[in-house]
Amino acid sequence: MTPSPIRRRLLAAGALAPWLPAWRSAHAAADPAAWVSTLRTARGQTVYFNAWAGSERVNAYLQWVSGEVATRHGIKLEHVKLGDTAELVKRVRAEKQAGRNQDGSADMGWINGENFLTMKREGLLFGPFAEALPNFALVDVAGKPTTRIDFSEPVEGFEAAWGMAQFTFYGDGKRVPQPPKNLAELLDFAKRNPGRFSYPKPPNFHGTTFLKQVLIETAPDRKPFYAPAPADPGSLLAPLWRTLEALHPLLWRQGKQFPASNTVMRQMLADGELFISLTFNPNEAANEIAAKRLPESVISWQHAGGTIGNTHFLAIPFNARAKEGAQVVIDFLQSPLAQARKADIRHWGDPTVLAVDRLPTADKALFAQGAAPGTVMQAVPVLPEPHASWVEVIEREWARRHGQ
Amino acid sequence: MTLRPVGRAWWWPAGLFALPLLAALTLALGAALDAQAWRRLLDDPALWPALSLGLWVGAAATAVSLALTLWIVTHLHGSPAWARLERWLGALLAVPHAAFAVGLALLLMPSGLLLRLIAPWAGWDSPPALATVQDPFGLALIAGLVGKEVPFLLWNVAAQLRPVAQATQLRQQLQAGQAMGYPAASVWWRVLWPQLLPRLALPLLAVWAYGLSVVDMALVLGPTRPPTLAQLAWSWLLDADAAVNAQGAAASLLIALLVAAGALAALLLARALRAPLRARQVRGDRPAPARTAALVRPLLGAGALVYAAVLALLAFVSVASVWSFPALWPQRASLEAWSTVVESLPVLGDTALLALAASFTGVVLAVAWMETTPPAWDRRAAPLVFAPMLIPGVLLVAGLYQVALRLRLDGSLAGLWLAHSLFSAPYALVALAPAYRGFDARYEQTARALGRSRTAFLLLIKWPMLLAPIAAAAAVGFAVSVAQYLSTQFVGAGRHATVTTEALTLASGGQRTLMAAFALLQALLPALAFGAAWWVARRQSRRLGTEA
Repeated sequence: MTPSPIRRRLLAAGALAPWLPAWRSAHAAADPAAWVSTLRTARGQTVYFNAWAGSERVNAYLQWVSGEVATRHGIKLEHVKLGDTAELVKRVRAEKQAGRNQDGSADMGWINGENFLTMKREGLLFGPFAEALPNFALVDVAGKPTTRIDFSEPVEGFEAAWGMAQFTFYGDGKRVPQPPKNLAELLDFAKRNPGRFSYPKPPNFHGTTFLKQVLIETAPDRKPFYAPAPADPGSLLAPLWRTLEALHPLLWRQGKQFPASNTVMRQMLADGELFISLTFNPNEAANEIAAKRLPESVISWQHAGGTIGNTHFLAIPFNARAKEGAQVVIDFLQSPLAQARKADIRHWGDPTVLAVDRLPTADKALFAQGAAPGTVMQAVPVLPEPHASWVEVIEREWARRHGQ
Repeated sequence: MTLRPVGRAWWWPAGLFALPLLAALTLALGAALDAQAWRRLLDDPALWPALSLGLWVGAAATAVSLALTLWIVTHLHGSPAWARLERWLGALLAVPHAAFAVGLALLLMPSGLLLRLIAPWAGWDSPPALATVQDPFGLALIAGLVGKEVPFLLWNVAAQLRPVAQATQLRQQLQAGQAMGYPAASVWWRVLWPQLLPRLALPLLAVWAYGLSVVDMALVLGPTRPPTLAQLAWSWLLDADAAVNAQGAAASLLIALLVAAGALAALLLARALRAPLRARQVRGDRPAPARTAALVRPLLGAGALVYAAVLALLAFVSVASVWSFPALWPQRASLEAWSTVVESLPVLGDTALLALAASFTGVVLAVAWMETTPPAWDRRAAPLVFAPMLIPGVLLVAGLYQVALRLRLDGSLAGLWLAHSLFSAPYALVALAPAYRGFDARYEQTARALGRSRTAFLLLIKWPMLLAPIAAAAAVGFAVSVAQYLSTQFVGAGRHATVTTEALTLASGGQRTLMAAFALLQALLPALAFGAAWWVARRQSRRLGTEA
């Protein structure tokens, strides 16, 4: 993909002065004077960043960020560790209900999907701010459309893209010498290895994503799934349930029990109980190999026709105390330096939201890294998620058919 | 010091405890009484299977734990083995529930140690398709609960029997019974248990409530299809959608109602059984010593072995980063988990300080309550006092958080201290009440007759005599504070990390090495507290010359 000449020129300007407006859109514009004033106000602020803390590598990365924003911008970044992002949604909602319209407890949060949808609809988010950040110009909004549409909800500047995700399978190459490249092959694999594959029980996020993948992959016509679900989906879902009916008897515990989450599945794979697991981070297996928690023979793959992908974001609650500090931190997190470190398997291994091919050479070099064991060898197309209204439809019907 | 059993002094501890609690309960129940949420809940096809499973697990775990406790105490009390057991109970109690579940799973699951040991003979190169954990009947979950609850009940029995007066009375009754030709076990069943069991009602209620509302152990050991009601309620309460949250609040209230209904049923059953039991008690026959007595020691040995294996496995997998079936030795080892633990060590001090403050407040409140509250009110207020134990924590935390928000205490240490104290106090009271109620009133009469003031009596006689149960109550309160997760995260706005918040936020990533290492760290503080309580009790009983 070739960037427009105007964008290329502006990108070059951006590289010369990182705080200058690099790109203007009809909706929002990075105003240099305003940004200078934001930087000034941000200095000395404490930013409480509410972020899931289930990975010590993510936590270590955030510690590095905290050191960087302290020296660069005089901001004190505190990682508020969450076990579940819904804790943040609930806290901000409770604060709003209690009339706490300023001085909220959270200054920024790591969210996406349902949590974003909920917060945006309930007016719990500050913004729009994201498209006015200087580094927004570097985000690959054209090549990665999910950076502006989250859970089929237009982002509209209420959250800033942070990292990319794409549905990925992984397994030990010794057990899975020929990774299944589509659902039919997955079914074949399950026939040959009964009980060695499963998916987390919906409404677990990864379980529901597997259902979405099956839904899109088996649909003769995908178009209806990108529009709101009708009250009676009729035969549209028939291929999904047919596939699951064939698959379930071949799953772990014959599909009578399901693992609670994909992290549980990862451990079961490491122990040898499952042969194939699934994830939303294409680099998860590579990260785990780097962290010495999976054998080096583990490989990752995606279905050749494409897999469901999305983006995770950074947002600012409506009542945040340090809104300026939060914006400065978010802009730093979108910088090539921070994004490259995040994408590095040795540190975190979370794919970047930036258009790396359009970065200046020096910044592009930051992203250069050798192939690590366990990474996805062959990239496949990203399939956008079905319209959010389908989630409830398929989760409800799944619970009716298989849930109890 | 002007603590008097008369006057209005008792309003203070009662008020200090009850006000925030009542406010929290009102707010929490307000959320749970939403008609639409109840309709959603009752219409949910997942409700009934989950409800039956939850009731079965809670009832079975309570019944088995009680039976084992009675049996062990009957046949072991007074022996050197009992003294040894008593010494170790604190350590067993300190192992966090979730950690015990993870360790037990490591032992039992298809890729666990036991099946690895027989894999070479069975010819397995992959874990067999056996439902040894997460079985559809919840047996693994029941086993896990029993493993944690039996030490808890034994600890409570020991606390009942430790005070001087109780120990003496127990010895006299046993001797009298045996002198009349009854085997010791028979004296226990006919004379001692009928007196002791009513005093175990509250700990049993706690066990029953816990069995119905447990989530963390169920996630590891319990089935998923259907899950228990508590797991369903938990997942609904965690949802970002407010309507689903309300359904979860309604389900939590339903669990609380089931707890109360179960307690009521047990009470009625006990009342109905009183007459036939009494008839049996006074029948006068002299049965032969029970043959099952010989099984107690092997069973305890097996129990000790399970605990040792659980802890050893946790320590082992904390460094075994790749350990695939059927190998007995890990393919890859790493100290990374422990280096993360070392980075988290600074929170250890904060956790301990907060827990000390909360357990001190809890014990002071409990002692003040016992000293000042008229007996009639003591009985009447009991349901409120024990509400924090019986109402699913999630629900109460939601209400407490609302209180903290309105008082602007959220995110502050004062708010955290208040929240932790509120959760610690009832447990401290449960640990303290039996010793207090069993305290011989004649000591006070004698002291007053000798011209001592009430203050002098409390400071010089009563409290020193009750030092062991007070220390035990403090240890329980301390452990409760250390284990707080939701209240710490919500009331503290996530800003004040403790060992438990560190452990549980990291556990959400499902890294077993980390979970295991943090579980051991989490057990450290409560183990120290229980150890200290045991040491105080022993020193005191030596000083008072009543080595039990």
